[in-house]
Amino acid sequence: MIQSLIQWLDHRTGIKDLLHEALYERVPGGARWRYVWGSTLVFTFSLQMITGLCLMTAYSASTQTAWESVYYIQNQMFLGNVVRGLHHFAAQAMVVLLAFHLIQVIIDGAYKAPREINFWLGLILMKIVLGLGLTGYLLPWDQKGYYATQVSTKIMGATPLVGPEVQTLAQGGEAYSHHTLTRFFAMHVGILPGLLVAFLALHIYVFRRHGLTVKEPKKGPDTMFWPDQVLKDAVACLGVLAVVMLLTLFKGAELSPPADPSEGYAAARPEWYFLFLFRFLKFEAVEHFGLAFGAIIVPGALMGVLFAMPLIARLKGGHKVNCAFTWVVMAGITLLTAMAFYEDGTDPDHQAAIAEASRDAHRIQELAGRPSMIPVDGALSVLRQDPFTQGPKLFAKHCSSCHRWDGHNGRGSLVRQVDDQDKSKKIVTRPEAVDLAKFASREWMKSVVVNYSSHFAALQNAAWYGKKDGDIDVLEGEMAGASKEYSEAFQKPENAKDLDALVEYLVAQTSRKDLKPDDALVARGQALMEGGDLADGSSFNSCTNCHDRIGRKFAVSEDEFSYPDLAGYGSAAWLKAFLTNPGSSQFYGEKNHMPAYAEKMTPAEMDLLIQWMTGDYYKTEVHEYPSRLSDIPAPQAAAEPAAQPAPAS
Amino acid sequence: MSDHSTAPLDSSSGPPDSGAAETPRRNFVVQFLAGALGALAGLVPAVTGGLFFLDPILRKNKAPAAPAEGTDAGGVVKKDGFIRMNITLDALPADGTPLQVKVFDDIINVWNKIPNQPVGSVWMRRINDQVLVFNTVCPHLGCAVEHRAAEGDFYCPCHLSAFGLDGEKKNPIPPRGMDSLEVRQEGHEVWVRFQNFRAATPEKVPV
Repeated sequence: MIQSLIQWLDHRTGIKDLLHEALYERVPGGARWRYVWGSTLVFTFSLQMITGLCLMTAYSASTQTAWESVYYIQNQMFLGNVVRGLHHFAAQAMVVLLAFHLIQVIIDGAYKAPREINFWLGLILMKIVLGLGLTGYLLPWDQKGYYATQVSTKIMGATPLVGPEVQTLAQGGEAYSHHTLTRFFAMHVGILPGLLVAFLALHIYVFRRHGLTVKEPKKGPDTMFWPDQVLKDAVACLGVLAVVMLLTLFKGAELSPPADPSEGYAAARPEWYFLFLFRFLKFEAVEHFGLAFGAIIVPGALMGVLFAMPLIARLKGGHKVNCAFTWVVMAGITLLTAMAFYEDGTDPDHQAAIAEASRDAHRIQELAGRPSMIPVDGALSVLRQDPFTQGPKLFAKHCSSCHRWDGHNGRGSLVRQVDDQDKSKKIVTRPEAVDLAKFASREWMKSVVVNYSSHFAALQNAAWYGKKDGDIDVLEGEMAGASKEYSEAFQKPENAKDLDALVEYLVAQTSRKDLKPDDALVARGQALMEGGDLADGSSFNSCTNCHDRIGRKFAVSEDEFSYPDLAGYGSAAWLKAFLTNPGSSQFYGEKNHMPAYAEKMTPAEMDLLIQWMTGDYYKTEVHEYPSRLSDIPAPQAAAEPAAQPAPAS
Repeated sequence: MSDHSTAPLDSSSGPPDSGAAETPRRNFVVQFLAGALGALAGLVPAVTGGLFFLDPILRKNKAPAAPAEGTDAGGVVKKDGFIRMNITLDALPADGTPLQVKVFDDIINVWNKIPNQPVGSVWMRRINDQVLVFNTVCPHLGCAVEHRAAEGDFYCPCHLSAFGLDGEKKNPIPPRGMDSLEVRQEGHEVWVRFQNFRAATPEKVPV
């Protein structure tokens, strides 16, 4: 029954001949591992076709939906992370396999007559695959792909004569837009794969015409492609699949934050297999000759030599020259790639940019998963309005020249400056004002009350400190004295609870949702403030004796304020009034040294900064930047006491 | 060219010559392994891709959990699936004349949530202090049912379905009466469980 069905099918289609033709390719000298590269490439390409078509069913090519659809594939769809991961890593595997295939073809002499045409077909296939890598890199419309591709299209723009036209054509306009994505998408899923299939068919046809190039000496008797070579090919393909799958499951395809033309991306790098070119372009000598030289003429010349190899091989010793050329170029590429990796790995600025991109990427995926989902204008708008993302950037820009956040500049980097003694070195800059990571927390309040001078000790590093009589008041004035008294009073074990109560009362002033003050303690704190005695019976010098606006319950003094207004201290409203003008008579008055920020930030920016500082944002599981407090040098005064002018008092 | 000419083209001879056939047992193992491993390498991507394609059926959490009740960001107030209408009892004609009212809800479009969008409309009638609500979609083939004041009925301009003001069908064209919707009244507020139903069936099947 089955037999006759097969016979019927064979009669109508000639399937047996076809199978025979496909499987009984002669393998002179027996199956060998060195012949597997072509098959692994065909396999990987098939894998890309399958996963690529799947991704196509869920991808949406526009600047408001590309990142969003990839986010959705990666985080919400069934096996979406696996399909995208396979596609992502198999693309890279393909480049590696291409390199192996090319090297094997060159050293085995398979490019020589009569196989010149097939070698050239192979080189065209290589360019198509690299083109697929390049176009695919942009499609997620994330920061990484966006800025890396900007470099590629700018290189196109540097093409002699027709540069600007080529760039405009590739981008679908003068600048990146919806059409950049639709054009790249069409190239990536239609034009380039179509060309690849066509050239691959030619490549295989010409290969079969001339047969395998046997590596001498033969290792055994002749066999057929099936089953011996098929087995080796299958094992190799499974090996490739295993590597790609492991990378998918344990590393995963990255999705950096949504592309933002207004927010630079210092860590922008091309895909790693283009890193050698990136590094090559960074040489001053190369830059000297212009972008077209480094990015177009030199790579073009290398490709030219590759294309000429079958002709060079006709000369005496030509094959040896070709092999030597291949090894030299490969060694150069390897060296440049290693240099790029090493330099990035040891560059703190690059590492900081990567850490920030990773933080923002996790955060936006967290926000996109909220019940309110992503608005129609895209994920970028969410990220731009997120205090947890924007606060650190604003802090770094506006505050970190004096303040630090847990020892860093808000974005995880140390603030550094050129060393005065050794101009080639960078040293960590001393902060000139208090670290704000713990602002208005219990720890902060306690430290201000009992540890005032050391809490604000960083002020001594400021250039202004000690220049005027009044300045000294900050660390050695009335509040410093009061703090010493408090610290002695609260050192008694029976008064410990009172300190907690006082701190809790101050915390209640902040109205912060994340701190949740204890009501009983707050009440005790208020009683102290209103003139109560401490637990050991001694009288308490209430903060309100000076700060007459510390709580809403206290009468506002009619006099001009002589002490900072602490009504709602640490709350968003207090912080906003303070940042708007710290030098107002309500706050530091004439003693102020902090700039007013009303003109330096937009109200929206100030709100984002304040919301971040007061913990008022959608709760997060994204890691904070690691603390850099241990990298901060001791205050200048301690290191060089001589430089400190004597207190005027 | 010479290489090519050495390849056997005799299709009747099957798996060939000399060396390979000397140990049939080994040959079988190799054939089996080659077939099995080759199939495995092909199946993994095919099955993964196939399952991904079935995502609309296989995925468990189809949408992020919406707040069960209360106002969401967009201002649509919902409780137990009932939407508070932007119209109170007093705004409906006391004589029972139908009033067409738009229903607002959040639209979820895969990754987007668009708050407070018109998602459909209903005919609302006040009978004393009770409110009758019908979906404006005709149960016949889904056109919008209109109100004819002169005839005192509902009427579909597409295929001439007609319904009484109580929603009962007046001719044999529609398969059932107009689709009434569940109503909840809280004081003067009117809450409606807005649903669409399958067209052209005698039964009312929610979609």
